[in-house]
Amino acid sequence: MTDSKYFTTTKKGEIFELKAELNSDKKEKKKEAVKKVIASMTVGKDVSALFPDVVNCMQTDNLELKKLVYLYLMNYAKSQPDMAIMAVNTFVKDCEDPNPLIRALAVRTMGCIRVDKITEYLCEPLRKCLKDEDPYVRKTAAVCVAKLHDINAQLVEDQGFLDTLKDLISDSNPMVVANAVAALSEIAESHPSSNLLDLNPQSINKLLTALNECTEWGQIFILDCLANYMPKDDREAQSICERVTPRLSHANSAVVLSAVKVLMKFMEMLSKDLDYYGTLLKKLAPPLVTLLSAEPELQYVALRNINLIVQKRPEILKHEMKVFFVKYNDPIYVKLEKLDIMIRLASQANIAQVLAELKEYATEVDVDFVRKAVRAIGRCAIKVEQSAERCVSTLLDLIQTKVNYVVQEAIVVIKDIFRKYPNKYESVIATLCENLDSLDEPEARAAMIWIVGEYAERIDNADELLESFLEGFHDESTQLQLLTAIVKLFLKKPTETQELVQQVLSLATQDSDNPDLRDRGYIYWRLLSTDPVAAKEVVLAEKPLISEETDLIEPTLLDELICYIGTLASVYHKPPSAFVEGGRGVVHKSLPPRTASSESAESPETAPTGAPPGEQPDVIPAQGDLLGDLLNLDLGPPVSGPPLATSSVQMGAVDLLGGGLDSLIGGTNFVAPPTAAVPANLGAPIGSGLSDLFDLTSGVGTLSGSYVAPKAVWLPAMKAKGLEISGTFTRQVGSISMDLQLTNKALQVMTDFAIQFNRNSFGLAPAAPLQVHAPLSPNQTVEISLPLSTVGSVMKMEPLNNLQVAVKNNIDVFYFSTLYPLHILFVEDGKMDRQMFLATWKDIPNENEAQFQIRDCPLNAEAASSKLQSSNIFTVAKRNVEGQDMLYQSLKLTNGIWVLAELRIQPGNPSCTLSLKCRAPEVSQHVYQAYETILKN
Amino acid sequence: MISQFFILSSKGDPLIYKDFRGDSGGRDVAELFYRKLTGLPGDESPVVMHHHGRHFIHIRHSGLYLVVTTSENVSPFSLLELLSRLATLLGDYCGSLGEGTISRNVALVYELLDEVLDYGYVQTTSTEMLRNFIQTEAVVSKPFSLFDLSSVGLFGAETQQSKVAPSSAASRPVLSSRSDQSQKNEVFLDVVERLSVLIASNGSLLKVDVQGEIRLKSFLPSGSEMRIGLTEEFCVGKSELRGYGPGIRVDEVSFHSSVNLDEFESHRILRLQPPQGEVRLTVMRYQLSDDLPSPLPFRLFPSVQWDRGSGRLQVYLKLRCDLLSKSQALNVRLHLPLPRGVVSLSQELSSPEQKAELAEGALRWDLPRVQGGSQLSGLFQMDVPGPPGPPSHGLSTSASPLGLGPASLSFELPRHTCSGLQVRFLRLAFRPCGNANPHKWVRHLSHSDAYVIRI
Repeated sequence: MTDSKYFTTTKKGEIFELKAELNSDKKEKKKEAVKKVIASMTVGKDVSALFPDVVNCMQTDNLELKKLVYLYLMNYAKSQPDMAIMAVNTFVKDCEDPNPLIRALAVRTMGCIRVDKITEYLCEPLRKCLKDEDPYVRKTAAVCVAKLHDINAQLVEDQGFLDTLKDLISDSNPMVVANAVAALSEIAESHPSSNLLDLNPQSINKLLTALNECTEWGQIFILDCLANYMPKDDREAQSICERVTPRLSHANSAVVLSAVKVLMKFMEMLSKDLDYYGTLLKKLAPPLVTLLSAEPELQYVALRNINLIVQKRPEILKHEMKVFFVKYNDPIYVKLEKLDIMIRLASQANIAQVLAELKEYATEVDVDFVRKAVRAIGRCAIKVEQSAERCVSTLLDLIQTKVNYVVQEAIVVIKDIFRKYPNKYESVIATLCENLDSLDEPEARAAMIWIVGEYAERIDNADELLESFLEGFHDESTQLQLLTAIVKLFLKKPTETQELVQQVLSLATQDSDNPDLRDRGYIYWRLLSTDPVAAKEVVLAEKPLISEETDLIEPTLLDELICYIGTLASVYHKPPSAFVEGGRGVVHKSLPPRTASSESAESPETAPTGAPPGEQPDVIPAQGDLLGDLLNLDLGPPVSGPPLATSSVQMGAVDLLGGGLDSLIGGTNFVAPPTAAVPANLGAPIGSGLSDLFDLTSGVGTLSGSYVAPKAVWLPAMKAKGLEISGTFTRQVGSISMDLQLTNKALQVMTDFAIQFNRNSFGLAPAAPLQVHAPLSPNQTVEISLPLSTVGSVMKMEPLNNLQVAVKNNIDVFYFSTLYPLHILFVEDGKMDRQMFLATWKDIPNENEAQFQIRDCPLNAEAASSKLQSSNIFTVAKRNVEGQDMLYQSLKLTNGIWVLAELRIQPGNPSCTLSLKCRAPEVSQHVYQAYETILKN
Repeated sequence: MISQFFILSSKGDPLIYKDFRGDSGGRDVAELFYRKLTGLPGDESPVVMHHHGRHFIHIRHSGLYLVVTTSENVSPFSLLELLSRLATLLGDYCGSLGEGTISRNVALVYELLDEVLDYGYVQTTSTEMLRNFIQTEAVVSKPFSLFDLSSVGLFGAETQQSKVAPSSAASRPVLSSRSDQSQKNEVFLDVVERLSVLIASNGSLLKVDVQGEIRLKSFLPSGSEMRIGLTEEFCVGKSELRGYGPGIRVDEVSFHSSVNLDEFESHRILRLQPPQGEVRLTVMRYQLSDDLPSPLPFRLFPSVQWDRGSGRLQVYLKLRCDLLSKSQALNVRLHLPLPRGVVSLSQELSSPEQKAELAEGALRWDLPRVQGGSQLSGLFQMDVPGPPGPPSHGLSTSASPLGLGPASLSFELPRHTCSGLQVRFLRLAFRPCGNANPHKWVRHLSHSDAYVIRI
């Protein structure tokens, strides 16, 4: 008690003293006093009692003193809002000071005082400062808009600060541009749809010019902003890359990495056979290597990024293996990252070098590092087949050292090697068995038990070995492995081991509290007692080979992470949504799609010439368990939509009808079951299927339904074990269907087809099972029309019209994704009443309006209107203004979203202008694409 | 966007704390950081740490922790760069970076922070630019004299062992120089190279790389053009060819943004317009790997005898210095990790000024000065307690026991660059009025980064 009293009195004394000094007449003394106050503030003392005294010092012409007072204000304004208001007048006055430093200081400090009341006083000074003649003031004001937006977003919008900020992007001073970009990017992140940073070729050009002039930090803001831009074609992408490349040799690593991010992203759009692509690849390596000579902290962050880059484009660094060799004095976290990258880069060409290094590392002192090095040897063996033998012998050498933890790690990896290359290296088992006693870690014991069980027939004393493990069964952390291993042993050598197996079964089922163990015990017991042959088939079934690289980042996640190179996400290897709270800045990003030319260069058979780039098949590799939604679905009949109720009834009909048609068409190998697949309850029994036939025969038949794109290959045979799928989408008389053409290019017959969609933006789902009623024999093609409903579950996709599909047959499950044209979703009752149209047009805010140019479309208004009408885009009104035809049109999507359009056609001019207004502006782009497709075909 | 910045002392006490975004958490965040850092398991990286939506990024500098926090997905590179720039800046403005100077100059540090960062956005980190805005004078503890050049350690070149005491010029804060105009009339130009080498146990060279920097520090009163002439045979990239000889080849070069390269292609001259007053900047960075024009400075010939049975370990090290005989290496130290549990050491060294001792499970052999062309040797005998296993191999072998090696060397090579790069001249295109020619100090130095020889 006395102590605390003592302290409070001194504190009071101190504060009292400071108070006196603050009110002194001498400037120097005042200044020293404020400094003391700030020093006390820093160490955590409460000096808020001095607020009025400090504020009194504010009215001074001494800049140093003023800055100190402002510093104090920033810290305490929040806890003393009423007092802060006292200072407002001085702030406002200072904003008009002839000295630009003071003007900037005032506006900067005001923005930092996060008190709601202050905002109303802030607006006027801020407006002036945004237009100040001095760039230092303007750049400070630009940041202040972001500050104000954080306190009161509505106010910023109402006051029109955002427009002023946009104007600052064209400012003559690069510092101002950089801050404006930074502020806008931040504000835009909290309004994903606001379209604030409207990037177009002109503004990009401005940014690229500012890039050359501004400070390194400004360059980072600008490069990060550029990375969000989507160039319209590969030419634009290349020209941006060319202008960004010089940044790669910047001394600031953050600039380098931001440039790498832009390049990695835009490279996606460049064709691989372009000379420039190769040049760019070569240019990327040196800056990345240079980063590895920085301080360990930077090295670590760089290595995490390189890890991603190496997975995406191994060719960039494939010749740079040496720089990833571990230095003796690297911190352990750097060593482990380097090790990981070494394995990723390991190939037949450099494996000898890598192995020699790894062996060296395995004899170092740091236990963690040694363990990882031993594991790395195993991973090399699995990755590079040619090296497996050498790896195994290296591991055996290491086992000879008898160092406990080395032996244990080696056994764990040898187990994996056995699983990858069965019946090749089992000769080493004897050596492993010698080291049985030294195993004290669960993982190593489990590995050893697995080996003994799996190769029981080759190990003479397998029963003794397992029995020795069984002695301490209840303390054993590897009970499940032991149980399985003994059952395997019994199945292989039933005569000698009956007793052992009974013992373990009773231990597992009767004496154990672990339900997993008990259940497994009972299953084995019953299997063994009812049908030993079946037991053998189950327990000794052939195991699939383990995959080459189990630790690769799943491709879609990798693509997303590539968009986040040089950010925290690339260090954590997680998407930002996983660690950024509050959803700020969590806009899902994706790599731009490759353009048509490049796709055809890569795999010519997949891209029919003339196919629009948006419809390129995008095959999702089957590997990777993070496909989540898709894989979680069971591939059975679809679970959605009313047609399901009648599907069983239809089954019979399908066969009948299908057969009938088969015989009708006779000689051709063209099987046409689509009619049958259209569910009867849709009221249009002769739907798409027949009109398809009609199409084929006559080649006309356009008026009966909306435009149908030619079929494009969605899943090339190469990527689906011989199954080629091509298809398109149609809309006929109110029903949507997916017309598929399945071709069997494999040598075996395919059966048991099924299809499933991932959740998508408009809830598209198969309305009936995929009907392929006869097995598909080699070289046979079958055409199917799959009816679709729009009542499936909805999830917003990127891009909006992306559809991920899984197709199953007796061989495997294949995944691909495709983009569907939006016009299949335009419903028949999409014609809006005139009055309604007018009212709605006015009602939708102007920023939702999007304007597009449709080039090379020499149609007159009549023709365009009738063409569009057949795809359910309805003309509400037509006007002629100054020689131009204006068509006002409406359409409605299946989910009830209305889109209003104004199409301006100038007779004689082949391009027309399309303005779209919609409450959900993200669909505009796709509606525009639909317009273009319909009008041009 | 940075939420907070703070500086902690080596014991975790906050010296500076600044919040840019009005985030909650306050000062406890600093404490949280220190707790998290000290409780981190060994193999986890402390560089980026994450706690409840807050990310900590820090560097250690001169015994201080410089930490920033952020809650967004920002570039860790820019944060790390920023921290190291801040360390330089604070050093520049306060004279030197340390617990004492920071706490004496709290107001100055806050003022700097306000100009460097606004709302968590980096504005500028250049000393020259900031000079226009900073008002507070640094508080310096002791007066300095410029002519205390007896210990002219290279100002920036902190070598691994002998942390050269900063020369007085280096510890002078940039601002307080306003008063004494007369004394400063000097330019320092350093070519500093860091050498990393990895030699396999059979003596073959596995990896060698050199990281070089040209650093400029100028105290000239008025800024006008400065020209730095480099070796004319200086080639960049594998393919370029210049001059008749083998040339001085580097793989990659990057320059400070203020360097004018008009004459670089033709004459290898860097033109620089240093701003008025004091300047410290890295003019050029370069690196080369694999092909070194000169032989490696040191070769080590080890031989190991190990008697597994008795646990007697005998290591004979022969160190040859392959520099030219007129050059020498300073502060050479050989560090050789030994097997666990080594207790005693007996030694026979080739000259009396050497010293060898056991420290932290390793042998440390100090050679204060090694003349080029000379050869030194040391014989070390140790007792290693045998492994718990059966003493099966009782024979004396030359196979080394686990945990021995690799040997690493640290050293400094004054007046030597491994790449061969030299500064031909440093010319100033002006005459300061009234004064004699400014003093120009051009220095070359190489030192080891990681010079590892496997045994």
